[in-house]
Amino acid sequence: MEKQIIRVLAASGMGLLFALTLFGTALAQETQVSGTVTSTTGEPLPGVAVQVRGTGTRTVTDANGKYSVTAPGDGVLLFALIGYKGAARTIAGRGTIDVALESVVAVLEPVIVTGYMEQRRADITGAVSSVNVEGATQQTSTSVLQRLDGRVPGVTVEAGGSPGSRTTVRIRGVSSFQNNDPLYIVDGTPVQDTYLNWLNPNEIGSIQVLKDASAASIYGSRASNGVVIIETKRGRPGQRQVTLDVRTGVATPFRGLDDILILNSLDYFQVVKTAYQNAGLAVPTNIYGDPNNPSVPAYIWPNNGVNQTGDSLDPSSYSYPNNLIMPGSAGTNWWKAVFGAGQFRDANLAMSGGGEDNTYHVSFNYLDQEGTAAFTRLQRGGARVNTSFKVGRATIGENIAVSRQRNYGGLDDDADREGSIVGKNIFQQPVVPIYDIAGNFASGKAVGLSNLTNPLKIASAGQHNISTNDRIFGSVFANLDAGRALTMSTRFGFNLGQGAFRGFSPTTFENSEVNDITAINENYNLSTEWTWSNTLNYSRTMNQHNLTLLLGQEANQSTNRFEAGSCGNLLNQDVNSRYIQDALCDPATKNVFSTGGTGTLLSFFGKADYNFADRYFLSFTLRRDGSSRLGPTHRWGTFPAIGAGWRLSRESFLARNSLFSNVMLRFGWGVTGNQQIPAGRIVAQFGGDRGDTFYDIGGTGTTIQPGFKTTAIGNPDLKWEENRSVNVGLDLEFLDGRGTFSADVYRRNTNNLLFDPRTPATAGSASPPIVNIGQMRNNGIDFSIGYRGSFGATTLWSVNFNGSHYKNKIVRIDGVSTSFIGPIALREQNPVINRVGYPIGSFYGLAADGFYSDADTAGFSDDGARPGRIKFKDLNGDGNITADDRTVIGSPHPDFTAGLDLAVRHGAWDFTATLFGVFGNQIFDAQKYWYVFRYFDTNVRKDLLANSWTPTNQNAKYPRVDGSDVFSRQFSSYWVEDGSYVRLRTLQVGYSLPPALIRWIPAARVYVQAENLFTITGYSGLDPALPVRAATGAAGDIRDQFRGIDVGSYPSNRTITIGITTTF
Amino acid sequence: MNKRNWKRVLHGMAGVMVAVGVTYACKDFLDTPTQGTLDEATLATRAGVEGSLIAAYRSLDCSSSSAGSWGCAASNWVWGSVPSGDAYKGSNLGDQQPINSIETYIWSVGDADAYLNQKWSQAYEGVSRANAALRLLAKVRAEKPGEVSDADAAGIRGEALFLRAHYHFEAYRMWGNIPYYREDDTDFRKTNVGVNAVAEILTDLNEAITLLPATPRNLDKGRATSWAAKAYKGRVQVYAQDHAGALTTLREVQTSGVYALETSFDRVWTGFLQYRNGRETILAFQASAKDGEPTGWNSNWGERLNFPHSGSHFGCCGFHQPSFNLVNFYQVDAAGLPLALAGPAWNTPTPDSNFAGGILRPVDPRLDWTVGRDNVPYKDWTLHNRSWIRDASYSGPYSPKKNVHEQAADAEGNAGQGWQNTQTNDVPILIFRYADMLLLLAEAEVEVGVLENARTIVNQIRARAGQVAQGCGSADTVVTNRYPTCAGDTRMAVPLVQNPTLDSLTTPWAVYRIGLYATPWTDQNFARTAVRYERRLELAMEGQRFFDLRRWGGADTVIANYVNTEKNRIPYLTLAAAFTLPKYALYPIPSVQIELSRVGTEDRLVQNPGW
Repeated sequence: MEKQIIRVLAASGMGLLFALTLFGTALAQETQVSGTVTSTTGEPLPGVAVQVRGTGTRTVTDANGKYSVTAPGDGVLLFALIGYKGAARTIAGRGTIDVALESVVAVLEPVIVTGYMEQRRADITGAVSSVNVEGATQQTSTSVLQRLDGRVPGVTVEAGGSPGSRTTVRIRGVSSFQNNDPLYIVDGTPVQDTYLNWLNPNEIGSIQVLKDASAASIYGSRASNGVVIIETKRGRPGQRQVTLDVRTGVATPFRGLDDILILNSLDYFQVVKTAYQNAGLAVPTNIYGDPNNPSVPAYIWPNNGVNQTGDSLDPSSYSYPNNLIMPGSAGTNWWKAVFGAGQFRDANLAMSGGGEDNTYHVSFNYLDQEGTAAFTRLQRGGARVNTSFKVGRATIGENIAVSRQRNYGGLDDDADREGSIVGKNIFQQPVVPIYDIAGNFASGKAVGLSNLTNPLKIASAGQHNISTNDRIFGSVFANLDAGRALTMSTRFGFNLGQGAFRGFSPTTFENSEVNDITAINENYNLSTEWTWSNTLNYSRTMNQHNLTLLLGQEANQSTNRFEAGSCGNLLNQDVNSRYIQDALCDPATKNVFSTGGTGTLLSFFGKADYNFADRYFLSFTLRRDGSSRLGPTHRWGTFPAIGAGWRLSRESFLARNSLFSNVMLRFGWGVTGNQQIPAGRIVAQFGGDRGDTFYDIGGTGTTIQPGFKTTAIGNPDLKWEENRSVNVGLDLEFLDGRGTFSADVYRRNTNNLLFDPRTPATAGSASPPIVNIGQMRNNGIDFSIGYRGSFGATTLWSVNFNGSHYKNKIVRIDGVSTSFIGPIALREQNPVINRVGYPIGSFYGLAADGFYSDADTAGFSDDGARPGRIKFKDLNGDGNITADDRTVIGSPHPDFTAGLDLAVRHGAWDFTATLFGVFGNQIFDAQKYWYVFRYFDTNVRKDLLANSWTPTNQNAKYPRVDGSDVFSRQFSSYWVEDGSYVRLRTLQVGYSLPPALIRWIPAARVYVQAENLFTITGYSGLDPALPVRAATGAAGDIRDQFRGIDVGSYPSNRTITIGITTTF
Repeated sequence: MNKRNWKRVLHGMAGVMVAVGVTYACKDFLDTPTQGTLDEATLATRAGVEGSLIAAYRSLDCSSSSAGSWGCAASNWVWGSVPSGDAYKGSNLGDQQPINSIETYIWSVGDADAYLNQKWSQAYEGVSRANAALRLLAKVRAEKPGEVSDADAAGIRGEALFLRAHYHFEAYRMWGNIPYYREDDTDFRKTNVGVNAVAEILTDLNEAITLLPATPRNLDKGRATSWAAKAYKGRVQVYAQDHAGALTTLREVQTSGVYALETSFDRVWTGFLQYRNGRETILAFQASAKDGEPTGWNSNWGERLNFPHSGSHFGCCGFHQPSFNLVNFYQVDAAGLPLALAGPAWNTPTPDSNFAGGILRPVDPRLDWTVGRDNVPYKDWTLHNRSWIRDASYSGPYSPKKNVHEQAADAEGNAGQGWQNTQTNDVPILIFRYADMLLLLAEAEVEVGVLENARTIVNQIRARAGQVAQGCGSADTVVTNRYPTCAGDTRMAVPLVQNPTLDSLTTPWAVYRIGLYATPWTDQNFARTAVRYERRLELAMEGQRFFDLRRWGGADTVIANYVNTEKNRIPYLTLAAAFTLPKYALYPIPSVQIELSRVGTEDRLVQNPGW
């Protein structure tokens, strides 16, 4: 009866399932059961919760791991201990049941999902890393992707500190000029997503990272950047378990700009004064009065710019918006005005279990995360249902996740835009107060106060800017055991998304440059993607020959549509009136547009795995993929791969050694593909825009006639980008399996790079054609080493270290040029070059060489050279400093990244720590525009004046403070700093409560954790852990051409969290 | 499940898999049409050709796809005005510093380079759009005879050739050594070495002259005519020092009577619809500020920084401020002729710290149509006031005025996004006007023609300038409190008393005086100077002077003199680099374009000498 109920409910609704199963009971003869619970290595385990399933009967093991309980003879016993995998045993009338629990710390899954199939870990010849999921749960980021950092050798993860920020995951470097995101396979369904926020990290059962082509080419079409296989948790037969995880914490920025910037108005004035004096200009007196005896003015208002001391001011003349008056501030801490503590709350309730012919896992999640910036917040609610049923030889089931996510504050993770909160506005001068005398937001409305907008105002105005994202993701599947070792599977995966955003831009009468137009904008998007895959699996063992064959076919279609509307000059700015309607705003300003895209993929694939006596391994993969994005004659690509392995430890010459229990040599070669470009680029596209091609040819002032231009040049010969990789690996297990070592050396060559090399302006503004010309190479090594040990019976410890190194090199660009300037400019300059022989996204500029002294400038003909300015090397020797003297001045790619996991368990106590380090990378600190060069009259670094060049301080840190110096701030190596850092990523201390303490909770663990507790770095900017800014060009995602450039990102959070995990 | 059922399921499933394989294997599944764009076939119509031509016109000023916003301005204020001594960058020290670099002749630094790239990109975008229209026209004519009438086809081709010539001329004025692109070009890395740009431009203009009608097609005021092409040809000839050729060309235009000067100077740069695109306009960017485009891109975008700052109606941004030097240059002698004719004293007298309203030294009336001065009505707005200036200690007390719309003209924008509407308007941006052409003709007359013809032209222009002076403009109390005689008089323009010296003392903030050159010109040097002075007075702040100085030769002396006196008023000019020839004869070619022109290791674009 109970099973039937579950089956019905699971199939239909799921929500009540959890409640019903809780109260369902089974009746039978009571019997006494006892036994010993040990670890798999034989140590007795005290404190294990033993529960009779479906009843309130429970006990715990004693110090020797022994228990005794009264239970129905046909009942089931559940064993649970934090840090170990739970176990369930049917009593079946037995009186003694001994159980060995498997530790989840540093234990690899023996069987892992690799590609359309499961494989024994030991059989894998490709470069596949498994993620320690348990460790990954010890972080509070919204996305599981951010929890991969430092955990997988060869995988780098970059993200900002804003709630739910975008994550940039790169596997073994960067293989293309664009679109380098790995492919994620969630429960068998492929998805490309740089957030993955809809996936609750608590629901993840396992993560495998397929790093080389021999492992990944089964996903050929989109596997060029590696594949991350994520399986969510499933129920296990005979083990019903209800888990409640609740945690809450507080996040603060790990560092603030107030550590860096001047906080005192009069100190700041000294910089202003020096900047004017050194430029030969009269020092303004309108704010601080007499430059030799400056004072903070009582009031600041937009007068004639001569005197702000307030003598002639009547504060009662204040009127908004025409006569604004601000109190002069002795020093506003703009950082503190915007950034502070943000609360974090996360609750997860999961129930899982199953019977002989079914499994279920149902869970609910709610997460509420305030940003550390004012008015920013993320909320997520989600539910998941994973079930499977056996019907005869068939298994049918589904995995479905439903989630809604709401981001408040309109501050996405690309907060570096100058107009945003964390953009240059945070560099507002300290003399500007937060509020004016009437309590309205104040800003720089007086001569010399810059044209920044009050960052708190921006945050406040954006508090109702809500971005909503809904997602239904999952798949339904059926597997059929056809007998004779033949299995057929079909899976239909779907990924349905819809999103909405509404934004508001306020008036800024308090600014120097007023914006007097209010405007709202809304947008909606709808995306649908489905993947249907069918596979046939054959597995046969004959004597010592093991053979597995896979044949499959897959079709994928994705469509999306985006609609946006806007309207200006609102009659009422109230949030409830912000709709695009004729009566609510100026109907003449209404604007609407929509865009969309569609693409399809079709694939056929096969794989054969063979091993002899678990000693010699061979694997062949072949996949053919067709993509609608590519030219009709080139749309099919073939992606083969070969893997080979030799388990030396099975050979007689090693079999008897006592040191190594496993020695495996692996070799892999394969080809993977990339077709991630916008759909429709095989033909020329034409279009136009009212603000770009339409024109009032009749001179009416009110009527424009349509104009058209070529918007993109097509290339009918577009073909697959191909990535050929070779991987050689070695796996070792030593000291009775307590120690592990694994290393992989690889080379990846990407050919036929898909990108759109910039064309000269003489070709016009149409998007250049996407071509397949370039070549890129990544060589590298990944390794990990681990050891598990113990002190006595009750103290277990483990340490895992992983490291990786890669070297990226552009081999060829387009056959015509040997370099091209990066596509993204900052203000008027461009800090990046892609040059043959150098890594992608190299920094580019002049070579700084100290400062000019009088002697230097005397013989130097260039116009900008003056004593105290930055001296640049005249690399082409023509006697002038020009653009021709620019050179490669740095690289954002690290020499080495490393992660260190430490874990100690002592009785009921456990302790874990994760350190993460990046070494040898460089950061182009574009924030120097503001805090060093004071572009736009911004605030500056505290030590700018004291450490600037003067005739008596020629070995200075900064150039001479000079408001007219446009020479020194040319992009140069002066802007480049070492970006290495080591960070204590997480630190967690947990305690498993004695079950007797709280009677109704059989097993509970409380913990305290800290994230980003300390960072060791020499970087002078805010945070060396930079997110990669989103950047999209006409041919796709070009993030990797703008890495390591500090344009003011939302800093990482230091989060302190307490939590409790209970299992019923 | 029994065996039979099981087999049924097995077969069913196998069947589904085969069906799926077959269904999706058919190639239709991989044919997905491009979304949300037009294709070539749709545009291969009359409307498509006309639209392509419209897009070519649109490039006259910055647009939403321009590489930048101010370096691409139709008026060339960054290139033709700021480095010429007519104007400063304006605003304050921190804002738009690249223009500072341009102003102080530090053109090799990165930010000046980026601005140069804006101009280069805008010019060649225009070329590219004109060529696209030409290609599409040829295609439609070949594929669909009759779709476009012969007359329209000739007109469309003529207009496109005219535009192509104009855009190349813009590049030629800037860089001299430029590549020329025609509609059949497919290599966009052509060299600029050995290109006779002038000959190429004239080839296009000559063909345009033969193709274009004498009146604009469809009576659209923005379209080029055969006369516009002819006038433009003369302009190019003057720039190329082909004075004899220019004389022939421009005299023909002059005699035709197609063009004429506006009746009064206030009607040249204007937002009043009834005065726009009058007979003085040869080529203008047709700004439209109320066309429904939500951001105001089609308005005077390239000029929108060039308004008084926050104390004024306009609110922003105080750029392109007239120089002290320019204001002083409008001083006249007793005969109403430029004081500068008498020697350098025009630029030395005090009080030049602020030549404000009420300082009754005689001036050319064009001063107060060109420059916003304190206590002088600002067109029909109220009195210009020091609080309108963003940072007077940085860049002086004056504001630009020509590009500003009149309050009564209903020319202000109404965009619903972006920034604010008070500095967007649909005042047409005059790229080439008849007075400019006449003065070019006068140059040719001075060099190879008849000096007296030049005097006639100059006097014609001065007579028009003497028609009206700035009036009270606004009835607001600010005006009437200061100038009680303004009570009841809200005329923006008032007639000057007509007498032989055309002077007037009726307005209270200035003594306006402008005289004709009464004595016949017999000295070529004097005539040359008079024509050049007139050109400065007439076309000040219109983005021409820097190119004029270079054409005339001796720009190094003029600019050195300017910097030497002006740096005592504007301290940052002490940092100006020495303007030396021949280096500064041409702007440097933007480095990024040189880099993009590279084939192998060879730069197809070769940098100008000295850079």
